[in-house]
Amino acid sequence: MLTLMSLLLFMLVLTNLTLLGSSRLAFCIRTVAVQGVVLGLVPLFGLQPFTLQHGLLSLCAIILKGGIFPWLLLRGLRVARVKREVEPFIGFNVSLSIGFFTLIGSVIFASRLPLTGNNNTLIIALAIFTMLTGLLLLVSRRKALSMVLGYLVLENGIYCLGTAVADHIPMVVEFGVLLDVWVAVFGMGIAMYQINREFDHTDVDRLTELRG
Amino acid sequence: MSSLLILFLLIPLAGIALASRLRRGKHFFLLSLAMVLLDDLCLLVGVLKLPTSLPMKTADGWLYLDALSGWHLLVMLLVYTAGSVFALDYFHNDLAGGRLNRATARRYNQLWLGSLWTMTLTLLANNIGLMWVGMEATTLVTAFLISIYATPAAIEAMWKYLIICSVGIAFAFIGVLLVTASLQADASGVHQLFFTELIKATGYNHMLLKAAFLFSLVGFGTKAGLAPTHTWLPDAHSQAPGPVSAMFSGFMLNAALYCIMRHAALVNHALASDQFTSRLFVLFGLLSITIPAAFILYQRDLKRLLAYSSIEHLGIITLGLGLGPAGCFASLLHTLNHSMAKSLSFFAAGRLGQIHGTHKIQQIRGALHSTPLWGVALAGGLFALIGTAPFSIFISEYFMVKAAIGRGATVALIIFLLGISVIFVALLKQMIPMLWGEGNIERQESSSWSGIMVVVALLTLLLFFGIYLPLPMHNFLNRAAALAGGLQ
Repeated sequence: MLTLMSLLLFMLVLTNLTLLGSSRLAFCIRTVAVQGVVLGLVPLFGLQPFTLQHGLLSLCAIILKGGIFPWLLLRGLRVARVKREVEPFIGFNVSLSIGFFTLIGSVIFASRLPLTGNNNTLIIALAIFTMLTGLLLLVSRRKALSMVLGYLVLENGIYCLGTAVADHIPMVVEFGVLLDVWVAVFGMGIAMYQINREFDHTDVDRLTELRG
Repeated sequence: MSSLLILFLLIPLAGIALASRLRRGKHFFLLSLAMVLLDDLCLLVGVLKLPTSLPMKTADGWLYLDALSGWHLLVMLLVYTAGSVFALDYFHNDLAGGRLNRATARRYNQLWLGSLWTMTLTLLANNIGLMWVGMEATTLVTAFLISIYATPAAIEAMWKYLIICSVGIAFAFIGVLLVTASLQADASGVHQLFFTELIKATGYNHMLLKAAFLFSLVGFGTKAGLAPTHTWLPDAHSQAPGPVSAMFSGFMLNAALYCIMRHAALVNHALASDQFTSRLFVLFGLLSITIPAAFILYQRDLKRLLAYSSIEHLGIITLGLGLGPAGCFASLLHTLNHSMAKSLSFFAAGRLGQIHGTHKIQQIRGALHSTPLWGVALAGGLFALIGTAPFSIFISEYFMVKAAIGRGATVALIIFLLGISVIFVALLKQMIPMLWGEGNIERQESSSWSGIMVVVALLTLLLFFGIYLPLPMHNFLNRAAALAGGLQ
């Protein structure tokens, strides 16, 4: 079991770094989908005693993040007719380097957290790393779709943190959170469609009608 | 009686379902009003008639109403009632002129009731995770209320709102997770993250709990429009239709602040002192009072002006939360007063904007002469907002000053007074030409009954609470303030 777990965590790191370094949006969407599936599997491997409810929750998360979200976003991509992230505010190589340093920083930070009796330090470190990756994507990219991906990666990080630190969270809440994320992505998709229709582009930095 | 809480959640849902059966544009708005009035009736019969019946619990403890959430429920229903009545007036011309077709009218009202549902859920949820789910849902539902008229500016505002608030609220969820993590293994009696259980629990890891509060403050603070994460607020408020702007300012921001109050109470109780949260509240409060001042002074758009004033007032409420029990009392009173004054101002700004065809301050001149009803409403709202005497905001700001002196927070008091003085002058400078200047449109005599009713009712309440605070309300507020403090 331990090796399988390490494989999943390795995949998590890899997907984050891939996202930071690639410009092709369709590829990024698929990478986020893989990350969603990986994170859906993490709670099933020995973190908590397996119950039917946990299994159901994981299944929902995997279907949503690995199937429905990428389908929605790829459709949005086709409608908006964009292929790549061009000239992000922070270049791909720089983002990637920042990513490496963030990873090291997260591991050091997590090892110093006062979580007594919790041996999930590595998962917590990677959760923090994933959240920071999401934030970096949010602030450094230009296309509306990249922002949605950044938000999804941030949510993935929080989900991961949740599996590591919180065993008190009731099922209703977990499903509520999942539902909220679903509606959020759906809403952002509609917003993207409307932006494309009204402005004929989806460059977020060119939305400057409102200021002051 | 406590099963009444379920009714609060069922009524808006029933309205949403019924809306799909209706055919005529105006009926949708009447339906919304009817549902909100039903909610009001429940509040009157179930809660206000017998305030001692609080706290009440139902659905296995998942729904919970105490004095603090009860007070916010009251403010919420006041804002929604006023907004639903005003919508009849505001959308009248758009419906007649065909700018608002049947499908859009239906969508507007379903979203309006949907937002009511999500906010009710936020207030009634006993579980801090569910409270978060409700708050995040308010963002998703209300985003589409901003862009009900799909103009480019509205879509831009909606996008910024959706992204900034979703990311902000995500941070608040880290706060919820850290609260759970800070519960040490031996914390017994906490099964479902119920607020009522969490506040009694002992053996928290204090450092993690403090970190949790920081995340909640920043996360929910983004949604509450606290500086420096307020940037979505002027855009969203200025682009939304009049009743929606009023609901945003009048209650949605307060709902987010309510979530922060709950977390603060938890932290204060666990640490047995309010020192930690107080300092943060004072800091964020003062930032939110001072930063908007410059924007108000040089603002050219009436609705953006009001939006910045909302940031200031939310700052005042936050400041009060950091000034001990007397401060909490002042904050909660200020919540009600600000919500009434700001709804009134946004109603006036919305209608004046429709009549003049723009919200530019330069173009709105001599409103008192040309559109007497909305001129009076704007005058009343703005004079109340800057804190002039017979209006009730003066009283809550006076309580605030008293609380600051009692607490010995001299520096905070000076910055607070300086901030509101600058805003006083700035708003006065902006409003005088709008109200008394040389008019540029023809005088409009006719006003609809719904418009008159809403203006008269809100002005009366603002004046009434400025002169007299009934004893039962005083007692109720004291109970709510004690809960917000969390120390008893």
